[in-house]
Amino acid sequence: MTTVPPLADADSRPDTAGIDLRGVVKQYGTQAALRGLDLQIRDGEFFCLLGPSGCGKTTTLNLIGGFVAPTEGEIWIQGKRVDQLPPHKRPVNTVFQSYALFPHMSVLENVRFGLKMDRVPRDVSSERAAQALGLVGLEEFGSRMPAQLSGGQQQRVAVARALVKRPAVLLLDEPLGALDLKLRQRLQIELAQIHRDVGTTFVYVTHDQEEAMSMADRIAVMNGGRIEQLGTPEEIYRGPVSRFVADFIGDSNFFEATVEGAVAQLPDGSRVACAGGRSGAATLMVRPEAIVLHGGDGSIAGHVVQTSFLGSYIRIAVETPAAGAPVIVALRDGAAVPALGEGVMLSWTAADGVVLEPGPAA
Amino acid sequence: MSSDAGTATAARAPGERLPRLASALGSYVGFVPAVLLLGLCFLVPLGIVVCYSFWDTVDYAVVHDWTLGNYRYFFSVGAYVSTMWATLWVAVLSTVIAIGLAFPFAYWLSRYVPRKIRTPLLVLVIVPFWASYLLRVYSWLTILGEKGVVNRFLHWTGLTSHPLGIFLYDRPAVILVLVYLYFPFGALTLYSSIERFDWNQLRAAMDLGASPLQAILRILVPQIRPGIITAVIFVFIPILGEYLTPQIVGGTGGVMIGNLIVNFFQEAEYTRGAAISLLVAGFIVVLLFVFRKSLSTKEAYGA
Repeated sequence: MTTVPPLADADSRPDTAGIDLRGVVKQYGTQAALRGLDLQIRDGEFFCLLGPSGCGKTTTLNLIGGFVAPTEGEIWIQGKRVDQLPPHKRPVNTVFQSYALFPHMSVLENVRFGLKMDRVPRDVSSERAAQALGLVGLEEFGSRMPAQLSGGQQQRVAVARALVKRPAVLLLDEPLGALDLKLRQRLQIELAQIHRDVGTTFVYVTHDQEEAMSMADRIAVMNGGRIEQLGTPEEIYRGPVSRFVADFIGDSNFFEATVEGAVAQLPDGSRVACAGGRSGAATLMVRPEAIVLHGGDGSIAGHVVQTSFLGSYIRIAVETPAAGAPVIVALRDGAAVPALGEGVMLSWTAADGVVLEPGPAA
Repeated sequence: MSSDAGTATAARAPGERLPRLASALGSYVGFVPAVLLLGLCFLVPLGIVVCYSFWDTVDYAVVHDWTLGNYRYFFSVGAYVSTMWATLWVAVLSTVIAIGLAFPFAYWLSRYVPRKIRTPLLVLVIVPFWASYLLRVYSWLTILGEKGVVNRFLHWTGLTSHPLGIFLYDRPAVILVLVYLYFPFGALTLYSSIERFDWNQLRAAMDLGASPLQAILRILVPQIRPGIITAVIFVFIPILGEYLTPQIVGGTGGVMIGNLIVNFFQEAEYTRGAAISLLVAGFIVVLLFVFRKSLSTKEAYGA
């Protein structure tokens, strides 16, 4: 961790570590990309900005990196106000979506470039560049040209090139977007490891909820230029605050419901358990794996319209008058699988029935 | 020629290997027109010029005596040598200015201009070619001349009381017109090589601490080097051989080596004219030889 030397200027606030965005607004013409964003990212955290395209996540990243200027608001990094500074004066480096490696330079020269710009003596910069390549497991590849590397290796060079300057914050803009699933999963593990090794704050932009869930300490789910929910992956998965978040993260079943206390009444008149929290018209959300297939009090009736074997679990779709769309249930492998057309009773515990604001599908 | 004859024999001769041979030769038939054109219209005349440059002229007639006299004569006349240096100087300066204007244009066009608007802008660059070369050069007389647009404007503003002759009939006028004439070549060549550049690389360079200028010089320029060199070749080499522009707007002060060659031929001193032509051609060959490596992209990318 780098310690910020005490600064005399009035803009410095040594008490706030990490990144602090205060009331940040970004307008493109009349279009608002961000509408008043307040966000604190802790020092050393692996932070994910997650959302569909156009939600403002990349704009947020570019604001922190200095590639766009905020229309309103302040940006602080490690107690220093940076929103008026150009990119190269911020303690921030970026891993670009397309990697943006310099094709005319060797891997080592690519990694050394940032140090060269800082006029670090050649012997020191070569050593630090080699170290950075070691960090991403590419110490043997220094003399290669980028075109001679695979996509995954190029990605790791981009990470090494950004980390070699020991930034306070590393920004990653959908860095795994161009890779296939297997490689993406492997690099997710590697990136998390690198993050633990260097202890730098990572701000990671993605539209892939699985990627966010697998690496992030905390996630900000963004929608329409706002943060819809901020929390750990588990908090967000178990307690989404809106239908948008529930829909975006993981699979979910939605029911129109009228809630009273811990009981929700569904359109077909059945009464089921829910966590409560609000009364009156609401949307009830239940995760597929939270549903069990036996009857009893507070269950809904339906019949199976589809069963799919998906390896680690079996997914069945149940048509019921209680919901507009078939209810998806995830059964552990080894559980008794009902036959197609068979009548089933669905139930869940009160804690798994999450009550959300009423509203149509996003 | 020989390939022509070969095809003919192969086609008529009977035998089993015939079809293969015929198709092998047939694949070269497409080259024949080009070979004929190059041979008859370039190599043969070039040979004649080479011979002429080593022959002698006596009483306006070419005598087939081998001599180095034509070359010796050229280098013995101070005015010719200084014209040679001046030509080089004008060509270098015009090229630098033309490329210097073309680069920002190509950069701006490929980085900031939406694709839809690029084509019309590129067409605008090419529009001057629709008018004849001669017309375009002559039109500068109506701009720079004593009754030209510039002088009328200066008179209208009251800055001058009588027309100035300084705009025309000297090297600055030649350079100005040459820059105007060759800018499109530089702009189009540079645009086609900058267009493919991944602009994220400049962002990455600046993210890593480079200033905008450093990013351009260290990241963009090395990658479009072949394009820059092609642009320089397309601009510099034709300018070396220019003779109409200096003749029309250059006056006596703007004479270039092309005008010397024309003069020698007009005065029937074919052998001396041939020698100077070959000096220019030789210089260009050397230049292309020096640049040949820089034109390969493979080397730069190691792929």
